[in-house]
Amino acid sequence: MGLSSPDPASVFAAIGPGWQAPVERLLARQGLRRALTPRDAGILLVAGDMPGTAAEALSRVHDQLPHPRVTLRWTIAEETADAVAERIAATWRDLRAGEADESDHLPDQPPNEWKGVGPHGQGGKGMMGGTPYGRTMAMTGEDIRDGLQLDRYTARIGPFAPMLPPGLVLEVTLQGDVIVAASVQSPPFAQPADADAPELCAARMLTLLGLDEPARRSIRGRRPSGFWVRGAVPRDLGRIKDAGNARDRLAAFLAGDSPAVAATDLSELLPGLEWSEAMLVLASFPPSSILRAAPIPEAA
Amino acid sequence: MQTLIIILGWTGLAALFVRATQQPAGATAPQAVPFLGGGTPDAHAWQRYHFRPYTMTLVFIAFEMEMMFMYPWAVVFVSEGIKALAEMGMFLAILSVGILYGWREGVFRWQ
Repeated sequence: MGLSSPDPASVFAAIGPGWQAPVERLLARQGLRRALTPRDAGILLVAGDMPGTAAEALSRVHDQLPHPRVTLRWTIAEETADAVAERIAATWRDLRAGEADESDHLPDQPPNEWKGVGPHGQGGKGMMGGTPYGRTMAMTGEDIRDGLQLDRYTARIGPFAPMLPPGLVLEVTLQGDVIVAASVQSPPFAQPADADAPELCAARMLTLLGLDEPARRSIRGRRPSGFWVRGAVPRDLGRIKDAGNARDRLAAFLAGDSPAVAATDLSELLPGLEWSEAMLVLASFPPSSILRAAPIPEAA
Repeated sequence: MQTLIIILGWTGLAALFVRATQQPAGATAPQAVPFLGGGTPDAHAWQRYHFRPYTMTLVFIAFEMEMMFMYPWAVVFVSEGIKALAEMGMFLAILSVGILYGWREGVFRWQ
């Protein structure tokens, strides 16, 4: 493919404290595309100064970008979005020409060896026995809907998961796609009030609904036609006292106001929801209310 | 024999072609882990989940397949006589095992 190919630069954004709104506005531009997974991206955009606690997670995300890949940093508030967009375009041209690449940050070793209880690494508890590369097989537990014994999968998701507010690390236990337990491991990064802008909040929900173009239009300041869009949100999802349900909140975002949502304990709100529903519910809160809801980790 | 050699030859060529066009995955260990936004999993991603419509599927097959067989059976029943009746009896006996299993699983309980 030629350099003049109209394909947009695929960027995975790792957003630091205070950079959510600028990055979301940047990646809604023509010629840029926000990748929802690093495997779909060529450029890793690191915005803001990352706290040391997120360094290892950032390395993990960096290594998951396929080759060729390039990391760009946007840490100076004086650098305009235009300048960064230009930098990304130039880097994308280099990538397409095969003139740039980066090697892994983490060592090329599995987290653990494959080791079971038997002399040949076989056997153990769980579905198949053994612990493939340090990961035990999922063990069964009671399904919260009807008590069937189903496998439980526990993982920490974040701080750079595109569907969660930047910085939020959620430890979730899933059975299939149903969340049976959730706890906040680290709260989202603090963001200025601009991140609560209704057009950005609406765009986050629209992106989750798979409506990429309406999401872009919303960020650029044009209002997508609300009627069809609201219908895409499941009925009466994520009802909060005094703040309606997710559909009402999306309608409010689309109408241009940011509803005040009382801080809600995520570990009580999320269990019982399917993953996609839970992400929609989280996206229907302005980031500041999730930050208020997340417990501040105690100083050691 | 000739046909067999040609088929085997083409299959082999096709396999070689597919192999040649596939790029080796070549993923390093950090690339092979699932993407969790920088997070880490506790357990292996391979897990069993409940396919909830399966009981419905079972009952559908039990009753629908019955009818698929019954129509042609009804056409030849008069000419075949008692043999056709015995065949249908065996067929229904096999299908009813599925229905009994569904009953045990509570498919027919209205909730």
